[in-house]
Amino acid sequence: SESIQAKCSRIKILLFYLIFYGCLAGIFIGTIQALLLTLSNYKPTYQDRVAPPESHLIQDYICLLHRYVEFGGELPESYRDRGQLESDVGVRKACRFKRTWLGPCAGLDGHDESFGFKDGKPCLIAKLNRIVNFRPRPPTNNASVPDAGQTRVQLNVIPIHCQNKREEDASKIGEIKYYGIGMGFPLQYYPYYGKLLHPQYLQPLVAIQFTNLTFNEELRLECKVYGANIDYSEKDRYQGRFDVKFTIASS
Amino acid sequence: MRYTTSVTKGLTSSKAEEVLERDGPNELLPPKGTPEYVKFARQLAGGLQCLMWVAAVICFIAFGIEFSRGTLGCFDDLYLAITLITVVVVTGCFGYYQEFKSTNIIASFKNLVPQQALVIRDGQKNQINAMDLVVGDLVEIKGGDRVPADIRIIFAQGCKVDNSSLTGESEPQSKTPECTHENPLETKNIAFFSTTCLEGVATGTVINTGDRTIIGRIASLASGVGNEKTPIAIEIEHFVDIIAGLAIFFGFTFFVVAMFIGYAFLEAMIFFMAIVVAYVPEGLLATVTVCLSLTAKRLARKNCVVKNLEAVETLGSTSVICSDKTGTLTQNRMTVAHLWFDNVIHAADTTEDQSGQSFDQSSETWRSLARVAGLCNRAIFKPNQESLIVVGDASETALLKFTELAIGNMMEYRERFKKVVEVPFNSTNKFQLSVHELEDPMDLRYLLVMKGAPERILERCSTILIKGQEMPLDEQWRESFQTAYMDLGSLGERVLGFCHIYLNENEFPRGYKFDSDEMNFTTSGLCFAGLISMIDPPRATVPDAVMKCRTAGIRVVMVTGDHPITARAIAANVGIITEGSETVEDIATRKRIPVEQVNRRDARACVISGGQLKDMSSEELDEALRSHPEMVFARTSPQQKLIIVESCQRLGSIVAVTGDGVNDSPALKKADIGIAMGIAGSDAAKNAADMILLDDNFASIVTGVEQGRLIFDNLKKSIAYTLTKNIPELTPYLIYITVSVPLPLGCITILMIELATDIFPSVSLAYEKAESDIMHLKPRNPRKDRLVNESLAAYSYFQIGAIQSFAGFTDYFTAMAQEGWYPLLCVGLRSHWEDVHLQDLQDSYGQEWWVSVIEICQIADVLIRKTRRLSIFQQGFFRSVDVDSMEQMSLTPYIQSYTPCYVSFMKGWGQWWFVPIPYGILIFVYDEIRKLGVRRHPGSWWDQELYY
Repeated sequence: SESIQAKCSRIKILLFYLIFYGCLAGIFIGTIQALLLTLSNYKPTYQDRVAPPESHLIQDYICLLHRYVEFGGELPESYRDRGQLESDVGVRKACRFKRTWLGPCAGLDGHDESFGFKDGKPCLIAKLNRIVNFRPRPPTNNASVPDAGQTRVQLNVIPIHCQNKREEDASKIGEIKYYGIGMGFPLQYYPYYGKLLHPQYLQPLVAIQFTNLTFNEELRLECKVYGANIDYSEKDRYQGRFDVKFTIASS
Repeated sequence: MRYTTSVTKGLTSSKAEEVLERDGPNELLPPKGTPEYVKFARQLAGGLQCLMWVAAVICFIAFGIEFSRGTLGCFDDLYLAITLITVVVVTGCFGYYQEFKSTNIIASFKNLVPQQALVIRDGQKNQINAMDLVVGDLVEIKGGDRVPADIRIIFAQGCKVDNSSLTGESEPQSKTPECTHENPLETKNIAFFSTTCLEGVATGTVINTGDRTIIGRIASLASGVGNEKTPIAIEIEHFVDIIAGLAIFFGFTFFVVAMFIGYAFLEAMIFFMAIVVAYVPEGLLATVTVCLSLTAKRLARKNCVVKNLEAVETLGSTSVICSDKTGTLTQNRMTVAHLWFDNVIHAADTTEDQSGQSFDQSSETWRSLARVAGLCNRAIFKPNQESLIVVGDASETALLKFTELAIGNMMEYRERFKKVVEVPFNSTNKFQLSVHELEDPMDLRYLLVMKGAPERILERCSTILIKGQEMPLDEQWRESFQTAYMDLGSLGERVLGFCHIYLNENEFPRGYKFDSDEMNFTTSGLCFAGLISMIDPPRATVPDAVMKCRTAGIRVVMVTGDHPITARAIAANVGIITEGSETVEDIATRKRIPVEQVNRRDARACVISGGQLKDMSSEELDEALRSHPEMVFARTSPQQKLIIVESCQRLGSIVAVTGDGVNDSPALKKADIGIAMGIAGSDAAKNAADMILLDDNFASIVTGVEQGRLIFDNLKKSIAYTLTKNIPELTPYLIYITVSVPLPLGCITILMIELATDIFPSVSLAYEKAESDIMHLKPRNPRKDRLVNESLAAYSYFQIGAIQSFAGFTDYFTAMAQEGWYPLLCVGLRSHWEDVHLQDLQDSYGQEWWVSVIEICQIADVLIRKTRRLSIFQQGFFRSVDVDSMEQMSLTPYIQSYTPCYVSFMKGWGQWWFVPIPYGILIFVYDEIRKLGVRRHPGSWWDQELYY
C-alpha cells in the first residue's frame, strides 16, 4: 500500500504542476496578448532607445535602389507631410531616390563598380537609420558646423561633414566630395511612416568620396551629421556620427 | 628540606626568583589557541565559500576563453570573478571580526581581579600576585581565599575547602597536616589550586604551580575531546551539495541542448560555465553571516555571549538541556525556607529579595527561636561593606540574613547579648552553642543557645516551647517533631534544630569561668524552640523557563552534585519533575510492592544518583533516558556528566550542557553546545564552551533557544528568497540559448541584483519577528528538518521562481514590444542582435537599429514577504508596517526591477516597474492559499509537499 501511496502522491504532484504551469502559461499568454492589444500598429510606444544613429555602408545597398514611386526632385525641399500616423489615409507614397544622384559613387555601369576603392579614391555611402515619425531638423546654429562644411549648409538639408580625427592627419586627407541631393539628407524624405504605412520607403543617401588621401598611412576620419535634434553620445560612437579608418596601399 | 625552604621563613627572594625563572609563572596556560591566520583561513573555507571559489575559477577560465576569442563583453566574467572573491574575503573578514570581538569579551573576564597570595619569604609576610608563586613558597590561606597553587598543608586550624570545581563534591572538605591517603586527591593534607578555602586558616608549602597542578593537568585533558561539527555547518554543506548538484545538472543539460542546437563546442562550454556560476547564490554567504552576527549581538544584550557564530543556531535545535542545579537553576545561596514552631510549619519568603515574610510573627516562641538563630551564629556582616556581604558558612549566612530581616540590625542585637563562650560546630557532637549575657542588665542569668542536627538537639531537650510556654516534651510532641522533621527533610531542605536555656543564676553566677573544651555547664534538659529549614531556592524566572522548554519540546535534565532528595525537591520546584510524576520508588511505595515489580515505563520521573550511574552500562543509561522523560542525576561527578551527554547524543538529541567547573570542560566540549557560567565559571570551562551566560541564569538559555530557532526559520526564509531569485536570473539565459532572443539579463546586472539590491531584503528577513508559535513546536530533527529540503527547493524553484520568471518574461517582452520589437520577432533574433557589423537591424516597425551597444535588460524580480506557515495577516501585517516590511512589501520589487538597467539608462525606465505587479499579486495570493492549506490540513499531502 505504501508504494500505491507514493505513486498516488507522485501523480498528485504531477497534476499539481500541470495545473500550476497551465495556469501560469495561460496568464502569461493572456498578458502578452493584452500587451499586444495596447500597442499601436504604426508607431512604437517608446522611441527613447532608438536615438538617430548614422550608419555607414558600402556596397550592400545597391540592389534596393531601383524601385521608387514618386519623383522626389533633385532639389531639397521641406518635409513632405502625408497626414497623421493614425489617420486612415492608408499606404503612403514614398519619394524615390535615383542612384545616379550619387555620381561616381553610384557603382553603375560606366562608372567605377568598385566604388573608387580600386583607384584609392574610396566612396562611403551614408544614411540615417529609419525612425518612425522622426523629423530631423537642420542646424539652427551655423557655428556648430565646422568651417569647411559651412558652404554646404542650406535650407531643408541635414548636412554631413567629414574631417580628420587626429590633428596630425589634417594635411593628409585631401579633398572630400559629397554626392546626393543638396550634398546632404534632404527633408522631403521625412518623416518615415513605418513599415506598414510606408512599405516602399527609401531613405536618402549621401555618398562621400575621398579623392586625395595620402597613401600608405593609417588615417582616421570622423563624419558627423548636423541637426538641431541630432545628439551625440560619449558611450555610443555611432549616434549622429561614425568614424572610419583608411590605409591605402599603393600597388 | 626538599624544596630548600624553611617552615618558618619560607624561601629567600633570590631563590624564589631563580625558581620562577625555571618553572614559569603560576598560571594555567590557555589551551594552545589556533593561530590567527588559521582562524581567518577557516573563515574563507566554509562550504559556501568553497562553492564561490570554484565559481570564481570557472569565471577566470571563461574569461580566458572569451578574451582569446575577442568576444564582446568578456570583461563581465573578469568582474564577476573579482566580485566573487571580494564577497568571500569581505564576509570572511566580517566573521573573523565577530569572533575576535566575542573572544575579547571573554578575555576581559580573565584579568578582572589578579589573584593575590599571602606568602612568607625571607621570614616576612608579603602580599604578592599569585602568578609569581613558585614551588617551595610558604603561603597562608584563610577563609574566603582561593587556594593559589597546589599546597601541602603544614599547619591548619579548622580549615575547610570547597573542592567542587575539581571533584564535584559539594560538601566542604576539611584539611589537616596529616597525610591520610596515598592518592593526592583523597588525602587531607593537600589543598588544590583554584579551590576555595571556606573557613579556617592554613599554612602550607607550594608543591606544584601552573600547568603542573592537578587542575592544570585536567584542563589540558579537556583539549583532547574533539569538537563536534555544528548543525548549521552540516546544513550549509548539505545546501551546497544540492546547489552544486543542480548547477551541474542544469549546466550539463543545457550544454547538451546547446550542442544539439548547433552551437560551437566552446560556446556551449561557456554557456555551461555561465549557468553554473549563475547558480551560485552570491548574496547568501553575506546574508548568513549577517543573520548570525545580528542574532549574536541580540543575544549578548540578553547576557549570552556567543563565542562561535554558528553556535547561535545550534542552540535553536537543542532538544536536551543538561543543566547544573546550583547557581543556574537556583540562586546559589542558602535561604530559610520553612520554620516549625508552635507545632506548625511556617513558610518563609524565598524570593531573591526576601521582601515579605508571610508567617505570623506574634508568637512568643518565634521571638525565642529568632533569638537563638541570631545569637548562636558565627556569620557576620563584613565591616565597612554594604550590609549584604556576609562572611560565614552557607547556613549561618542564611540564618543571619533571615534574622536581620525579621528582627533588624543583628550586629547591634548581638552587642546587647554579650557572648561569653562559644563551642563551634564539629562533626562528633553535631551542635554549636554559645552562652550570652542577657540584654537586661538587672537579669544576671546567662542564656545558653544551641543549634544543630535536629535529632541531637531533641535528645538534649526536656521541654518544648509552645506559644511561649514551656511544656514537657512528651511522646506526643516528639511524634509531631518527627513528622515535621520528615516533612521538611522530604522537601530536600537542610533542617536545623534550635533550643535554649536560662542557666541557673546560683550555679553560674556572673564571672563564672566557662570552658569551651570541658563544657563545664548544662548541656541537657534544654528547652526546644523550633526547627528552621533552609534550601538554595530556585531562581524566580526558572520555573517559567522550564515550562517554556517543555512546551518547546526540549527536555531539561538536571545534573547535580547534590543529594538526590534535595535535587528532586528543586527539580519538582522548578518543574523539571512535573506535578503528579512519580519515580519507580514512588510507585512502589504507593502500590506497596517491591521496586522490581514496578513497570519502569509507568514512571515518568527518575532520579539517578552517581553511585547508581557508576554501575549502569551505557545501554542501561540510554534505556533509562528513553523511558523516563523527566530525569534528575544527583551526586554525579563531572566525569559522569560527560557520560550522560554522550548517552543523550547517542539517542539523537542535540545537547546543550551547562557547566562551571574545570572538570566540566570535557562535557562542555563534547556537547553540541557548551554553556559556561560567566560568574561562577572557571576559565577552563569558558574556554571549552561555545557560549557564556553572563548572569548564570537558566532563563537566558531559553531566550537563546528562541533566538536560535528564530534564526533557523529566518535563514530558511532568506534562503528560500535567495533561491527563488536564482530562477528568474537563470531562465532569461536559458531562453537566450534555446530560443535565441536577445540576452535579457546581463551578468553584471545579475551581480547588482545579488549583491546590491537583494542583500537588504535578505538581511531584513533576519530581523523578522518570531512567528508566534515558534516556541510551541518540537525542536527540529537534525536528520529530517533540513535547512534546505526538497519542498523548499521545489517551492522556490518551480513555484515562486516560475511565477517570477514569467513575470520577468512579461516585463521583458513588454519592454521589447513597446520599443518596437514584437515578441515573435525576438525569437531567433540573437545572432543578428549580437552582430557587430549589422548596423541597421529592422524592428517590427521598420525602424533601423544599431543594437550591439544597447542592452535591453529589463527584467523584474517580483518579491513577496514570506512567512512559512502563518498568513501575513495572522502575523500582524498591520502591526509590522514599519520600515522593514515596507521595504519588503513595496519598495523592493521596484528597486529591483529598476536596478538592472542601472548600467546605461538611469532615466526613463520607470514605465516598466509596474508591469510585473499582477504577478506580484499572483504570488501573494498563491502563497496565502498555500499557507492556508498547510494550516488547515496539517499532515496532509498538501502539507508534506508544500510546506518547507
